[in-house]
Amino acid sequence: MNKFIICLFVSGWAVCSWAQTPTLNAGDYFGDLKARHIGPALMSGRISDVELHPKNSNILLVGAAGGGVWKSQDGGVRFTSIFDQYCQSIGCISIDPSDPDNTYWVGTGETWTRNSVSAGDGIYKTTDGGKNWTKMGLEKSDRIASIQINPKNPNEIYVAVLGALWGPSNERGVYKSIDGGKTWNNILFVNNTTGCSELVMDPSQPNVLYAAFWEFRRTAYSFNSGGINSALYKSIDGGATWKKLENGLPQGEKGRIAVSLAPSNPSIVYAVIEAKKKEEKGLYRSEDGGNTWSFLNGDFALTVRPFYFSRISIHPKDPNIIAKAGLFGSISRDGGKTFKNLGSMHSDIHDIAFDFNQPDKLLVATDGGLYRSMDGGSSMEMVEDLPVSQFYHVSLDNRNPYYVYGGLQDNNSWFGPSASPGGVEARDWELVGQGDGFRVYPHPTHPNIVYSEMQGAEAIWRFDVEKQQLKTVKPYPLEGDPKLRFNWNASLTTSKHNPDRLYVGSQFVHVSNDRGDSWTKISPDLTTNDKVKQNQESSGGLSADNSGAENHCTIFSIAESPLTDQVIWVGTDDGNVQVTKDGGKTWENLTKNITGLPANTWCYQIEASVHGKEIAYAVFDGHTKNDYTAYVYKTVDFGKTWQSIATSEITSFARNIQEDYSNKNLLYLGAENGLYITLNGGKSWSAFTNNFPKVAVHYLELHPTKHSLVAATHGRGIIILDDVRPLRNINEGLLTKNLSFFETDRFTLPEKSNFGGTALENQFVGENPSSNAKISYLLPKRHTFGKMAGEITTLDGTLVSKIEVGKNKGINTIEWSFNANAPKVAKGKGFSVAPPPYVKAGNYLVKITKGNETFEKQIEVIYDSSSSFTLSERAQQQQTTTEVFNMIQDLAYLVYQIDQWDAKATEYKTKHTKTEKYVDGLRMELTAMRNTLVVTTGDNYVGTAEDELREKLNEIFANVSSYFGAPSSSELANITALSNELNKAKKQFGVLQETRIKALKSLLEKDTAIKMPEILSFEEFLKQ
Amino acid sequence: MKKSLLLLALVVYSFASNAQTVEEIISTYHQTIGGTKWDGIAGMQMNANLDQGGMKIPIEVVMLSDGRMYTEITLMGNTMIMQAYDGSTVWTTNFMSMEAEKAPADETENAKRAAKEFPNALINYKNLGYTATLLGTETIDGTACHKVKLDKKTMMAEGKEVPNVEYYYIDKENNIPILTETEIQSGEMKGKTSQTKYSDYQEVDGVIVAFSQTSGIKDGMTQTIQFDKISLNPKIDESKFLFPKK
Repeated sequence: MNKFIICLFVSGWAVCSWAQTPTLNAGDYFGDLKARHIGPALMSGRISDVELHPKNSNILLVGAAGGGVWKSQDGGVRFTSIFDQYCQSIGCISIDPSDPDNTYWVGTGETWTRNSVSAGDGIYKTTDGGKNWTKMGLEKSDRIASIQINPKNPNEIYVAVLGALWGPSNERGVYKSIDGGKTWNNILFVNNTTGCSELVMDPSQPNVLYAAFWEFRRTAYSFNSGGINSALYKSIDGGATWKKLENGLPQGEKGRIAVSLAPSNPSIVYAVIEAKKKEEKGLYRSEDGGNTWSFLNGDFALTVRPFYFSRISIHPKDPNIIAKAGLFGSISRDGGKTFKNLGSMHSDIHDIAFDFNQPDKLLVATDGGLYRSMDGGSSMEMVEDLPVSQFYHVSLDNRNPYYVYGGLQDNNSWFGPSASPGGVEARDWELVGQGDGFRVYPHPTHPNIVYSEMQGAEAIWRFDVEKQQLKTVKPYPLEGDPKLRFNWNASLTTSKHNPDRLYVGSQFVHVSNDRGDSWTKISPDLTTNDKVKQNQESSGGLSADNSGAENHCTIFSIAESPLTDQVIWVGTDDGNVQVTKDGGKTWENLTKNITGLPANTWCYQIEASVHGKEIAYAVFDGHTKNDYTAYVYKTVDFGKTWQSIATSEITSFARNIQEDYSNKNLLYLGAENGLYITLNGGKSWSAFTNNFPKVAVHYLELHPTKHSLVAATHGRGIIILDDVRPLRNINEGLLTKNLSFFETDRFTLPEKSNFGGTALENQFVGENPSSNAKISYLLPKRHTFGKMAGEITTLDGTLVSKIEVGKNKGINTIEWSFNANAPKVAKGKGFSVAPPPYVKAGNYLVKITKGNETFEKQIEVIYDSSSSFTLSERAQQQQTTTEVFNMIQDLAYLVYQIDQWDAKATEYKTKHTKTEKYVDGLRMELTAMRNTLVVTTGDNYVGTAEDELREKLNEIFANVSSYFGAPSSSELANITALSNELNKAKKQFGVLQETRIKALKSLLEKDTAIKMPEILSFEEFLKQ
Repeated sequence: MKKSLLLLALVVYSFASNAQTVEEIISTYHQTIGGTKWDGIAGMQMNANLDQGGMKIPIEVVMLSDGRMYTEITLMGNTMIMQAYDGSTVWTTNFMSMEAEKAPADETENAKRAAKEFPNALINYKNLGYTATLLGTETIDGTACHKVKLDKKTMMAEGKEVPNVEYYYIDKENNIPILTETEIQSGEMKGKTSQTKYSDYQEVDGVIVAFSQTSGIKDGMTQTIQFDKISLNPKIDESKFLFPKK
């Protein structure tokens, strides 16, 4: 029956294979190609919301601005990401008070609306503690500020939808569900530019709600907070009717309002108002449920940057202890009359949570991660397990392992290794810039020199890491120049053709050929120079906010052709694409040639192709005009014509494209919601989700010799696909074969060894790449039925090592650690390990057996060309390794024979008690021998016995076989001594065989009831 | 003609599979692996040779339908029970002292609760009082799967009752699980997802068994056990299950 079933499956496969036309949809064949994360977490990243379990202080949820939702079950020591498959921009999290172990809600879209903020795509719910999530609607909400759940009725939920930041939208205001989120009603709407920025519920009277409404708008070049539609509302009937609260509050235009009530006395309500008049800005308190208000305090800590800091938290038991998010975070213990700053930590505080059960324990969300305080906020401790860093950019060098360079939102500029002993730890990263970090580059030929910048090119640095010398090298305006306009994330890049060259973009292209000491303008103003978009001094609305974040009409992307330095492409933030073919003497504006692109759409990146100087890609990001469409174009004629290569499979806007250096049709796209890959030049795209969250990818870089795709994500740090070569080689022809190996380079035997890392258990450690030989192959279908196994053999078929093989549909990768089989070790008490030796350089076969078919691939192992070991030294090492290998196996066989005869003598003695003395003699001699050959007593820890021959041989074998140079004279002398000891034991056993064992054999021949021992030959013993 | 009929059958099956209930999915899976032939099976012995970087480690796993089990390994000539459950105690061998030690009480309690799950909890879920829910379709490594949530009531973790949930990803084309997942409930890895991938399904005396199992933490390191031999109703040394008397 089951054979029949299997046959049916097999037939079905055959028919299906025959019936289908192979296609090259990348997502079908990613297989086990998997990304790895190296963080880092030492500077972590912006946290937007913190929520605590109401009864179990060990459970807390953290929402990251761009890094998803993380759960801790140990009070905040270690965290697990529980939202990887969904939008990583988090507005708020809510724990259902009636089912806090299982039911959580997540509102996506951060509401701390800085220029670099990501958007959301709706509201989600889990009913199993975060293992599975269901989207519950509000897809157009863009950003959600609060979710309030009736503690007496979990089906009744209120949601504060802030709405779109970059344009008008109608999905705003307060939404209510009475069916657990299946349907929603908009119960309070003001207009399409005003959203609900805060919503709180009186837990003792769930029909009582306070809703803060905020009129706001951001463009690429301005921000406005405030208007006549901002207001604070209250409902006492579950949102059926709302009353504007005004008695004692500022009149007229208002900006963002923070509101909260005291859990221990809900009639006490606090609000921080961004008012038009400076003297009216600040903290207000009501003691009658919002009917009347008193102004308390207008301190800087309360009023600073309301768009970024607008949350008040109130002690669960004392209504007079309140904490306000802000530049440093502050706390009042006298009902809001006075405040003091919280303890030292990263600035820019977005949320503060009091532990319900231990209110002196505070959790604080900052631009630089999550902090804990155990003493009411006086001293702060950073959580070191949240790798939610927000990179803007990444570049790579050519070291081995290569290093990654990049800058982060409010967290400086850094470089760190892509691999490190024990994993990539916090201590591996080196600081190379201050402020907000963006583009960081190593000097192409002097990696000790690093260029970095801070926001708006307020500084561009050249840093000699070795000498610790720091010089500012930014271009300044020359006499007669207009003010230079630099983007917040100013364009900075190095050259492929002149290692000392730097390019920087203001509205002009500036070039330096002496590492930044002197600069030349090589272009006119390449932007639209629209004066309307250059009025940043008045940006901010009711609270001026001219940080440089809204600088506009600037060059954002400079791409020098890797084939000639005469061709330079430029993209501007106001939508221009320009090219020069003569090194900057003349420029051509290509913008008009791009069809289907809305005017003035931000050109985020131009990729100058390695496949032709006339070829380039341009990616446009329209999100600052409320347009979330992906715009990706390619030109093959210096920009005369452009072809769109974006498809509807890309479900959000894109920022960055990386072409493959080998396969013209293989492209990688960094989008707001993750990484996309095409195998057919953009005809179809697939999201790459193998350990790659739906995080905003701001930049991609492909390492030219390591073939690693490195993603700068804005919320999950650096994510790496170590080897993209299998993707290069997928073609339709392979889909018709049952298994196809991909071509490989020669594999270099790794010779480095180390003692591992030093990270503590509470610290994030980035995953290292594998140093194994990786052999990839393609399976057009998953292997499910029948045997499939792999091995490495020599070219003449001798087995070297068994290997694990993958069985996924698509790409599978075998990892082989260059090991042969370990020697067979003598049986004794406890463990004594003889590690497997490494193979020699040479050719080997990878064999995969799949059902009745065998597939083979020849590979070559080589020695590290940079190694200091000579071939002669290696030969000595290999010869000695083989000698000791054989000694270990000889000893194992000797001990095996001793054990066999000892067992037989014991059996004989049990039956023939009269011969006890005679057989005991043999047993005593065998036991005495064994005791000198292997450990027979003790344990594997401090109760261990003294080493015997087995242990000594294994130790010297491990030392000799794991080092690639010649053995030392000391080691060789030791081996000689051990060899003599082994030969002596063999000789002694030989004598025994001729005497006492021979005698025992004679006795056994006379007693047919006892079987003669079946001693295996040496070869049989090894196979056993 | 025959090919046409088979194609037609596949089309009908494909159509039917779109509307399958969780009960039908589990029933089809049960039939695929042998159906009622499992009913008379009292136990299973699985043997493998683990290759740990060139070092061979013979391993023997025995599972009985009454819940007893042991895993025995042979390391450098020393054969030892790595873990066993004798019906009343879960025990392990301490690799430092090489002595048998009882596992934490939670593990024994969980073994007792899982004692009747042989050969697996999904096909017996109704008899066990478990709840199975079809969560939808999910693609695992390029293969479309039914995602089935199996709610196995509760288990003990760090002295507390916690949910005991297992997720089965059943290959829609072949009606057989290729992946199971559980959340780790205790220890340093608490909150992480534990995965086991299955392949190399082969027939053993009329039933279908996965000869290859790859286990590990989701997106982390994995270890594959490739069984060389699986036998049903094995003759076994009963004493191997028992916690040794000291």
